[in-house]
Amino acid sequence: MSAAASRVLVADAARPGQHTWLHSIVRWLFITVSLTFLAAVLLAPLATVFAMAFAHGVEAYLKAFADPDTLAAIRLTLITAAVVVPVNTVFGLAAAWAIAKFEFRGKSVLVTLIDLPLAISPVISGMLFVLLFGLHGWFGVWLQEHDISIIFALPGIMLATMFVTFPYVARELIPLMQQLGNDEEEAAITLGAGGWLTFFRVTLPKVRWGLVYGMVLCNARAMGEFGAVSVVSGHIRGLTNTMPLHIEILYNEYNFVGAFAVASLLTLLAVLTLGVKTLVERTGYRGH
Amino acid sequence: MSIILDQVTKHYGGVPVVNDVSLDIGDGEFFVLLGPSGSGKSTLLRAIAGLSGVDHGRIALHGRDVTHLTARKRGVGLVFQNYALFRHMTVADNIEFALRVRHVRGKLRRQRRKELLRLVALEGMDERLPAQLSGGQQQRVAVARALAHKPEVLLLDEPFGALDAKIRDELRRTIREVQRELGITTVLVTHDQEEAFAMADRIGIMNLGRLLEVGAPHDLYSRPATRFVATFLGAANLILARRTADGIQVCGTTIAAADRTPAANEHEVVAVVRPEEVELAPARAALTTNYLAGGVVEEVVFTGALERLRVRLDAAAHTPLLAHDGSDDNASELLQVTRTQHEQRGFAVTPGQNVAVGVRRVHVLPTPLSSFTACAASAQLAEALGREPLLVELAARMKTRITTRSEPKMGVAEALCESADFVGTTVIASQTDCAHRSEWLLRRGARDLLVLPAGATAPQRVLIHWMGEAARNATLAMSASVLRHVPAEAVYVGIFPGQAGGRGPHGMRELLDARSEAQAAHGLEMRTEMRFGEVAEELARRLAEAPGQMLIVGVTELTRFAERFRALLDGGHWPVLIVYRGAP
Repeated sequence: MSAAASRVLVADAARPGQHTWLHSIVRWLFITVSLTFLAAVLLAPLATVFAMAFAHGVEAYLKAFADPDTLAAIRLTLITAAVVVPVNTVFGLAAAWAIAKFEFRGKSVLVTLIDLPLAISPVISGMLFVLLFGLHGWFGVWLQEHDISIIFALPGIMLATMFVTFPYVARELIPLMQQLGNDEEEAAITLGAGGWLTFFRVTLPKVRWGLVYGMVLCNARAMGEFGAVSVVSGHIRGLTNTMPLHIEILYNEYNFVGAFAVASLLTLLAVLTLGVKTLVERTGYRGH
Repeated sequence: MSIILDQVTKHYGGVPVVNDVSLDIGDGEFFVLLGPSGSGKSTLLRAIAGLSGVDHGRIALHGRDVTHLTARKRGVGLVFQNYALFRHMTVADNIEFALRVRHVRGKLRRQRRKELLRLVALEGMDERLPAQLSGGQQQRVAVARALAHKPEVLLLDEPFGALDAKIRDELRRTIREVQRELGITTVLVTHDQEEAFAMADRIGIMNLGRLLEVGAPHDLYSRPATRFVATFLGAANLILARRTADGIQVCGTTIAAADRTPAANEHEVVAVVRPEEVELAPARAALTTNYLAGGVVEEVVFTGALERLRVRLDAAAHTPLLAHDGSDDNASELLQVTRTQHEQRGFAVTPGQNVAVGVRRVHVLPTPLSSFTACAASAQLAEALGREPLLVELAARMKTRITTRSEPKMGVAEALCESADFVGTTVIASQTDCAHRSEWLLRRGARDLLVLPAGATAPQRVLIHWMGEAARNATLAMSASVLRHVPAEAVYVGIFPGQAGGRGPHGMRELLDARSEAQAAHGLEMRTEMRFGEVAEELARRLAEAPGQMLIVGVTELTRFAERFRALLDGGHWPVLIVYRGAP
């Protein structure tokens, strides 16, 4: 930037709150750049998904969902999310409570461990479960003897998803609980409330919006997870294929309408989740 | 009695934050726990509420021992500094919380809520959320909520800390009115002395985990027993003085003491002169009160109703001024004075002016530790001794001073002292022939002698023992004085000659007597330990058991002192304070 231009910018920055022509130009410039970028990287692909899904008409689109394997994939994804989200919610609450309210040895280790799934590649997360429960894994022989299947079955998919989505609720709650402190709980106890009552009437309402926000993020990731699930599922059509895996298979079979139809449904679910998130942000955090 | 605390002690990481606190609070009393931050007052309040347990001691509420009862079952009302209202509930739900928990019927709940809202002057605010209220209103709701279940005790933890001055004043009045109307026993914790004066029936002052003094606001202000209380409650000039048969001698002027207790013999004392008890006049003859010294006005600050001055006393007066409040070091040579408008009109002063200084009233602290004199063979060694960390720390905490003194002939038989006069506590360094030097000093008039090893730090435990009943009272007074300024545990070590059971019953009674006397007369809580054997050896053995210990030992007899005390004094790694009260 030339010296003159930078001088003008500095002069403008020195007068905050004053609307000058330069001020509005800078503002529009920034907005245009970010919107263009958004459109190119985000909106165009999204539009393509729907365009491809409806390329052969609505009928072909709906027909894609008549396929029993597709329906099985949708069902599997929803079941997985329905199990994983509550489990991780309970875990997240417990972990956040422990970290925010108590001082104990190994607290920093626990905090780091909670972040671990965010740091390692999902594929490796899946591999871990194969190494543990696969046929040649540590528990493989024992599991086979007792006729329990984890890898290439529903339990494996759930475990892998759970592992990957593990940090979302806890991460959301820990800073919130630390910030809100312990006083309200102590007040409730001196007023005669027991542990459960204090939890349900004081603690839970206090962190409810943070909790919902964490659950929404957890759900979004649980439904969309590809890498970790791909490793443990075994891609058995109609049995262990989740929606993301099924989309890939359809695509590889050149069934573009089917692939994009399922993709559009997954996208819709994601948009719905984000909608809930926005709603939560609007209503929930206003009170804080 | 509504609240009884008996030897309540609480440690955090080995450090006592509440140290042996015993206290009775009467029915309907408004009691204020006052102390600087970190003095343990909030921890004590939480212990009464049951939110934190105690390591030792007993807590009783209305005759019921609640020491092992959870906070939930104690049924006290607690108000927090930051209100701690349930932020997602309305004012009505907040207040009714304790009643809902107790399954009180809806109609009764609403009735009680109305009653409470009227009491705290918040009628019609029922449906508001806490976030829609001002700080003062939130705290009123918190008070109403804490009173909903009709607790027998109301506890307030710095309830006005987050409010501005005007609202604080208003809320103070409301709380006092509510308290009077309900006649509920109340304990308020604060670090604000003005607040304590304004509200309390009685004040208890805490420092370093200990409850130093308890009394009515006026009594504590006019007759404090400790330096800490004297300087913490309002401003105070501490002056080293001498108690003589006639009264209190300050700078060559003798002032009749307010509390006339005949002095056994002349000794050094610490006198408290409140800034408002100082009179200024153009000349000595114009004073209506006892002349203290001449001085120069250094600073005049007008603060509205009062005028604050600092006066430097003439060097010729040799006034041993100690600190006022420890806030700034330079100020310790300046006398603090406050004057009313009326006095200002009578005699206006400007900085730099020469004035005559008089005092209306002097209060003498009953504390036995007045000042320290570091004593060594040369001036250099004495200087070095005066910089020992423990000595510096003790002097700073006690707001007293360290002087030095050289005694080149220390320990030389038959040699006389450089100066015969021993004042305050004499300090010598711990070294090989320490027992011998100690005897030498004690025989030449030293009464309190601190033997200090190099690099000693503040003790965590103070062992107390006396040989001979004549030294008992002085030893206890000295121990109490030290322990007010050091966060340590006090242990009385009773030592019986020979094997167990030799003098059993009699010795035991003596020990229990001593313990109750310590508590009654000096407010000193001691643990007791019994040992058998030769006194000095047993004490040395006990001191060697753990680091961070100090010994305070009372002595009445100097025969074969050096020989008897060799094990204890020569090259020991522990500080020993010898209190000698022999027959004159």
